Amino acid sequence: MRPTSYATAHSFALVAALVIETALFSIVAPNFFTVGNFFEITRLSVELGLVAIAMTPILIAGGIDLSVGAMMGLSAVCFGVLSRQLDMPLAFALTGALLVGAAGGTLNALLISWLALPPLIVTLGSMALFRGIAEGMTTGAVTYTGFSESFLFLGQGYLWARVPAQLPLFLLVFAGYFFLLHRSAAGRALYAIGFSPASARYAGLPVKTRIALVYVLSGVVSSLAAIVYVAHLGQAKSDAGNGYELDAITAVVLGGTSVFGGRGRLPGTLLGLLVLSVLQNGLHLAALPSELAGVLTGALLVTTIIVDRVRAEEPPLLTEDIPVKNTQVAILCGAILAGAFIVAGTNVWLVRSITGVVATGERAAPARKLVVAMMPKAKGDPYFVSCRAGAEKAAKELGVDLIWDGPTGLDAAKQNELVENWITRKVDVIAVAVENRGAISSVLRKARSRGIRVLTWDADAEADARDFFVNQATSEQIGYALTDEAARLLGGSGDFAVITGALSAANQNEWIAFIKKRLAEKYPRLKLVTVRPSDDDRDKAFFEAQTILKVHPTVRLIMAISAPAVPGAGEAIRQAGTKLVQVIGLSLPSITRTYLKDGSVQTVILWDTHNLGYLTVQAASRVVANELQAGAASMDAGALGRVDVRGTEIILGPPLLITKTNVDQFDF
Amino acid sequence: MMGAYRRETAVAFGIFVLGLLLVVTAPGFFTAANLNDLFLANLPVLIIALGMTLLIVTGEIDISIGSAFAVCGIAAGTLAKSGAPLGIVLLATAGLGAALGLVNGWLTSYVRVPSIVVTLATMIVLREGLRWITQGEWVHDLPADFQWLGFTQRSYPVVVAAVAAALLGTFAWASRYLVAARVMYATGSDPDAARLAGIDTRAVKLSAFVILGALTGLAALLNSARFNQIPANAGLGLEMKVIAATALGGTSITGGKGTIAGTALGVVFLGAIGPALTFLDVSAYWERAVQGAIILAAVAADALSGRAETYATHLLRDRA
Repeated sequence: MRPTSYATAHSFALVAALVIETALFSIVAPNFFTVGNFFEITRLSVELGLVAIAMTPILIAGGIDLSVGAMMGLSAVCFGVLSRQLDMPLAFALTGALLVGAAGGTLNALLISWLALPPLIVTLGSMALFRGIAEGMTTGAVTYTGFSESFLFLGQGYLWARVPAQLPLFLLVFAGYFFLLHRSAAGRALYAIGFSPASARYAGLPVKTRIALVYVLSGVVSSLAAIVYVAHLGQAKSDAGNGYELDAITAVVLGGTSVFGGRGRLPGTLLGLLVLSVLQNGLHLAALPSELAGVLTGALLVTTIIVDRVRAEEPPLLTEDIPVKNTQVAILCGAILAGAFIVAGTNVWLVRSITGVVATGERAAPARKLVVAMMPKAKGDPYFVSCRAGAEKAAKELGVDLIWDGPTGLDAAKQNELVENWITRKVDVIAVAVENRGAISSVLRKARSRGIRVLTWDADAEADARDFFVNQATSEQIGYALTDEAARLLGGSGDFAVITGALSAANQNEWIAFIKKRLAEKYPRLKLVTVRPSDDDRDKAFFEAQTILKVHPTVRLIMAISAPAVPGAGEAIRQAGTKLVQVIGLSLPSITRTYLKDGSVQTVILWDTHNLGYLTVQAASRVVANELQAGAASMDAGALGRVDVRGTEIILGPPLLITKTNVDQFDF
Repeated sequence: MMGAYRRETAVAFGIFVLGLLLVVTAPGFFTAANLNDLFLANLPVLIIALGMTLLIVTGEIDISIGSAFAVCGIAAGTLAKSGAPLGIVLLATAGLGAALGLVNGWLTSYVRVPSIVVTLATMIVLREGLRWITQGEWVHDLPADFQWLGFTQRSYPVVVAAVAAALLGTFAWASRYLVAARVMYATGSDPDAARLAGIDTRAVKLSAFVILGALTGLAALLNSARFNQIPANAGLGLEMKVIAATALGGTSITGGKGTIAGTALGVVFLGAIGPALTFLDVSAYWERAVQGAIILAAVAADALSGRAETYATHLLRDRA
């Protein structure tokens, strides 16, 4: 009964894709084809892999679990509370976290199996519930750190100096699931249920208990993934595992499991996971844009699944279906990959050759170009987009190879992953805009110990984890400047509201803490009435601002502290036609210009983002050339002239207050 | 037919309870201004959910609409900036959405790749491709008549309310009485039987994708027109909002069952619940948890009230 021919056909296509990927990356990506990198890839895929393994039998049984990522967040927070806040022994904390996972899984199981509710809507609901409880418990902000060394070993250590410590755990879970799914009666029952729940029931199979089983297990394994995640990152926070549900489903589906149930194999999931992880790792090492990973994943998903249609054992329903052979599919996959590489490769080559020509025109190019890898907090954010322009200008002037890559949204785990990849690639300088100080410091120390110079910019890591910090403004300065400006506009008294980014965004939470501190110290008559999230979405910020105006009619000022939130709030004020409420915030001149000019936004606080990017690349090149050492009073920063250095901090200059009168001076 | 509209009734009851609670504790919720803002904020979800209902009824799903929404928004802005008249912008945006739907539909119906896989792929490809091309850059400096599409801030909500009402009425009517929509129910209930009855199920599914795509394009334009610049990261998570509203309104994820009225009620319930919690002064940090709990409670209560019936349909649904 096992659909062997289908499974092997699918595996064949995946193995072919994997071989082609490996071959291509071995040529274009430095240090890709090494044992060390192979183990790094496995380390980086363990958390996602665990979730994907647990997802496989759920899809086979015809269900889906969208709550796995949220469960990771809740388990991570519970583990943090038990282990750090209540100071419980490790064994208790671990058990507690796993029990939370089991409880969450049981809730899903009860609703799906006993109440026969559709899994999609149930797990959509529990996704909100779990993530919401995690956010509520920590007010989005509390981050648990300071776990014991022996616990962190689980996520960061090596066995026999080579093998990541979490790998055996992963293999154990894999073996357990393999036995359950492919070597036990319960596993066969899952296939039958997925194929046809009604027939499974008539055949006397315990449909409800079997379905319940996979959801409970999914909760437990998600907790386990959360524990590994916490050990890997060294911190527990409510945003752990954000978006993992979709990545896991992608890996499982790529691995040949049918979303309609009844078909799929665990080794396929493992292959799918490897194809995705190798793709991401290779693109990072080759310094190709990581957007390419998304585009290629999409193409691979559709291509490999064609096998599903072609080799399905049902007779073709329509005569015009053309039979396709495995080899043809494999060649197709290969051709797509190769085509994409050629396109991307020529782009990169073109850009490099152009910048190379410009560079040699301006100053003698060094024998070997310096490679500076620079990471924003989030790639698509307009703020970081404008930093990039400055960084590229400096790279061009200095003849430096600039790699610019980062997570697509705020994601501490992705930042760590990218730094690990850059260490493997052996870049000369890593410059990071730090999303989470505690999480990234250990991996930055590792980079330094391998002889890579490390800079931080925009937000700092722990001082011993980097050589220099390019300091545009500290969280304290930002919080105080915002509060002082609010006080000035309100004449020292009145109510105001804050619209932040995501509730769990580390930086915004730090600013809010300093805003509150400044209020307590200096402005007792100024009152912060509410903090609302915008999730960095302009439309949501707009709606939140509208709601604030109605729910809190006493509010006289809205402080928006995420770049898209300022135009959102400004538009809300403009449409409300009120002159009573003012808006200030942290944003870019380009997206707030019209609001500053028509008076819906009063003040935007920012520094010159171009110069921040420019200065960071300048500093990177000086540090490597040993022209900048700790204790220097200033450094030569090219077009910026001499810039002050204090200790190990390079000072960009005071924040700018951008208003109606001076906004046209800024072109970013 | 007893209990055929049980889910619709349950959601309507939920809305009623929520409304009652608000009337007593936060009457400010029911001001014209608030209802107007609430309507405009949820307009994209409503318009797209109409198409999603029909698509899910045919037994397929599209999770790429959030990405398509962002792509259509940027395209509309770029086109308007290049000086194209608004009529052309409108047609082009809806046409682009329809074209994206056509790609999804073609891959699903004719290449026979499962729709969730196809649209998972296009969701990632469109989102990443857009980020690659725009590099996160917003569309600024739109022509003055782009905001409100030539209407005014006052008249625009009335116009789009009329558009939404017309769409809602047409879809509700068509889904009951028009052959073109009834074949969607037939296709979703039992594809084999539908095929044997002479229905071209592949064309039916394809058209559902195209309709959804065109509605996504329309929604993207109507939403963009409320502002004077267009962000490149719009529509994140929109697919989940739309699918949640559709499923809450009683549309069966396995196809063949669902009503436009149920979907509309689902949109109202999910759209109102967030701001309602703000009005009821629930802390922002707990809002998401409360939202999740209410959704679970709503579907669980519904199931408990008619357990036997749901169980029977669950067991007997066809997994062809």
